[in-house]
Amino acid sequence: MRRSLFAIASIAVVPVFVFAQGAGAGQTGLHRTADGKPDLSGIWQVMNNANWNLQDHNAEKGVPAGQGVVDGNEIPYTPAAAAKKKSNYENRATADPETKCYLPGVPRANYLPFPFQIVQTAGQITMLYEYAHTVRNIFMGTPHIEGQLFWWMGDSRGRWEGDTLVVDVTDFNDETWFDRAGNFHSDQLHVVEHYTLIDPDHINYEATIEDPKTFTRPWKMSMILNRHKEKNFRLLEYECFSF
Amino acid sequence: MRGSLVRSIALAALAVALPFIWPPSLAGQASKNRPMIAGCPSVSAKFHPCALEKAKAFSPSRMPDGTPNLQGIWDAPLAMGFQNIEDFPGDPRPGGFGPAVSVIVDPPDGRVPYQPWARTQRDENIKTYIDPYAQCLPTGVPRQMANFRTRQITQLGNLIAIVNEAGGHIFRVVHMDGRAHLSPTFKLWMGDSIGHWDGNTLVIETTNLNGRWWYDSMGHFASDALKVTERLTLVDADTLHYQATMEDPKVYARPWTMVFPLERIKEKGYEQMEEACHEGDHDAAGFVLGGFRPYPGPRFPQ
Repeated sequence: MRRSLFAIASIAVVPVFVFAQGAGAGQTGLHRTADGKPDLSGIWQVMNNANWNLQDHNAEKGVPAGQGVVDGNEIPYTPAAAAKKKSNYENRATADPETKCYLPGVPRANYLPFPFQIVQTAGQITMLYEYAHTVRNIFMGTPHIEGQLFWWMGDSRGRWEGDTLVVDVTDFNDETWFDRAGNFHSDQLHVVEHYTLIDPDHINYEATIEDPKTFTRPWKMSMILNRHKEKNFRLLEYECFSF
Repeated sequence: MRGSLVRSIALAALAVALPFIWPPSLAGQASKNRPMIAGCPSVSAKFHPCALEKAKAFSPSRMPDGTPNLQGIWDAPLAMGFQNIEDFPGDPRPGGFGPAVSVIVDPPDGRVPYQPWARTQRDENIKTYIDPYAQCLPTGVPRQMANFRTRQITQLGNLIAIVNEAGGHIFRVVHMDGRAHLSPTFKLWMGDSIGHWDGNTLVIETTNLNGRWWYDSMGHFASDALKVTERLTLVDADTLHYQATMEDPKVYARPWTMVFPLERIKEKGYEQMEEACHEGDHDAAGFVLGGFRPYPGPRFPQ
């Protein structure tokens, strides 16, 4: 008796569940986790030159040209910050924290010329970077740690808005740059990231940058993260300061 | 004047370096303070058979795919980052190592079965070189599992991620999809880890290690020919029996095995934090002034 009731209940529930996924989710055909969220797990990498320069730039010896990733191509520095950026650019060969093998910060970690791996569970999404074994833990649905921390990779708190993963990142130090061209920020940096699977193998990635000590208004960068589909692909190591 | 400045800088640097060269006894104290873990004696030689016997009667919680659920954040309360993987009588100097009890269960004498030249090199290592971990270089395997503070295990079915909090930034991705190891060309600090389940035990085979790290602060070492086979078995809901067998025909006379317990952090909402290491490292300069050099890896007899 009990078993047959269960069977009837299953038949009644299954079509509703399938319908709900198809209708509510927007993007169909995506691989989903057990809790119905788009599954971002996998190994990802950009195909752009944002790490050289976030903005439109011509080629130089050893530097490929690149179309910028900044909306409108303008980074709205305050006058003092613009002067700092100019001096950073002039001293970039030694002043870029990447040359010292420091943790790359956010969002720069995502567009370094190295792959990174997303390990997604319901409560936590971990990002593992080939560059210097960098780690980001994105804790889902919990508030930022109280008080100000000064972390290289910041404090990341995530939530789902429909099928988009939204990550709020605060508590940065002022020691990382956005690129090799000297674009920079202060410890007031606040990053809001949006990760949206546009098909099974591509994530539309957007990062909104807010920092009242450095910029006159928030600005946004956008790019595509591409899934590595090579057979047996895996992260190797770039243990930067061991060389 | 200038000479005295250099001297005071050197002394200050040595003061910074000392805690790394002669850290206070943690392993010895810990095993004194924790005589029992999961109902078994905490000393490796006794924990090993007792915990495996208990594990036979334990039925672990399972992932949706039916494999044992090892997920969580794990502390290594007795390994304490490995001061010394062998028995150690203690160093009476101020701030010196306290006594340590060997984590090696095979051979039964609790000593690494080095080839004769390699035992000599180990003795040279502590006199000459800086522990690579003290320079913020990755731990390698198995020190990742013994390292200070915690490591988080996350299972996705086709992979298991092991991510540490301490030591800068250290992680391993264990591939569970039956793939083959990387070509021997690749030499990695954390190696290439392939896993499978043997009943309720997670078995991980790691190759492609670069042989540039030490097992502990006391110069115990391997070469790039090392193969590590780890076995992780739940003894109860909150205790893992951790076992690692090392094979390296270039350095050891025979395979050898270490065992220690891992304990679950049960605090609700516990989060691993960021620990930058190299980014704020000023110790390396102190070691160099103290006459120590970066470890270049094993020097094989000619």
